[in-house]
Amino acid sequence: MDMHSIFAAIEASPVGVWVRESPNVLPYVNVLHVIAIAIVFGTIFIVDLRLLDFPNSNRAFTRVAHDGLKWTWAGFGLAAITGLLMFTANATTFLVNTPFWLKMGAIGLAGLNMFIFELLTVKTAAAWDRGAPTPRAAKVAGMLSILLWASVIILGRVIGYTKGVGVGEISIDLNNLNFLN
Amino acid sequence: MNELVQWLASTGLSNWIAGAGWVVPTVQCVHILAIGIIFGSVLMLDLRVLGWAGSDQTMTQATGRYSPWIWGALIVLAMSGGLLIFGEPGRELLSTSFWVKMAMLAIGSGFVVALQLSLKRHHETWDVDIGSQATTKILAFVTFFVWIAVIALGRLIAWDAQIWGALFPRSVS
Repeated sequence: MDMHSIFAAIEASPVGVWVRESPNVLPYVNVLHVIAIAIVFGTIFIVDLRLLDFPNSNRAFTRVAHDGLKWTWAGFGLAAITGLLMFTANATTFLVNTPFWLKMGAIGLAGLNMFIFELLTVKTAAAWDRGAPTPRAAKVAGMLSILLWASVIILGRVIGYTKGVGVGEISIDLNNLNFLN
Repeated sequence: MNELVQWLASTGLSNWIAGAGWVVPTVQCVHILAIGIIFGSVLMLDLRVLGWAGSDQTMTQATGRYSPWIWGALIVLAMSGGLLIFGEPGRELLSTSFWVKMAMLAIGSGFVVALQLSLKRHHETWDVDIGSQATTKILAFVTFFVWIAVIALGRLIAWDAQIWGALFPRSVS
């Protein structure tokens, strides 16, 4: 099975049909996706700024992270579920959409950045948790996190303007094939 | 309102935005990042009032940390939103979602102003007095959903007739 038939099967699944064809489901799923994005970006931004010692290092990093990151995860979970629903509804359209794959790549890189930070840098947190400048590795992680999540949002918006563009040409090709048969 | 929309659509700025296809998507990205920053900050203040986060800080400290971001991002939000209105005046000003969103935005911002004024007046005793009252905690809860509504209605502008038509079938003939 090639990629296109896999994606076509996803699109033809009961969930895909339900999201795509039920009245107003797609708009409401989209609304939940944007709410989730605001939660993810808004909360992780606060943690990232703390990693950059901005505005200061008065509050313990572990406290800021504890307060914020559970919301980031909850928001990410909601974004993933709603995103998957939107993907399922129009899988073949996303398959040929470059911004979609760039967005998935950016989410992967943001995850990798977080993974490295949690695996290595956080272990040293006791030394810089409060009232001391954060190490360079923490600042780099914070900066990368802001840039990558902003890229995810920007690419997500670009998907809305590029999705389905060029699909018309593909359908013309299919017509020609049918005609030849 | 139709006249205002027509006048806005006839301005040079509006034609420039409509003509340059990249402006609206770019401004929308800025708009989304700004609402994310506001929402994260409002969430942290609400959680602090509810006692679910930030208990290591006084309410005055927490508000001092987050309110500059709320107001700073709100200016960015208003400016980017203004550009979007100029670019697509009919889409925004003639939609139900837009006006309900503006009402929610006013209420949400009003809550932030009220919190700051209340803190200024009672900053010594706020945490043990006003901050511990059930009404304050309920207001914190309400504020969270008011800002959720701002985000939701902003996104719903794109499907305005479809959504409001389905909710109130008789209003659309």
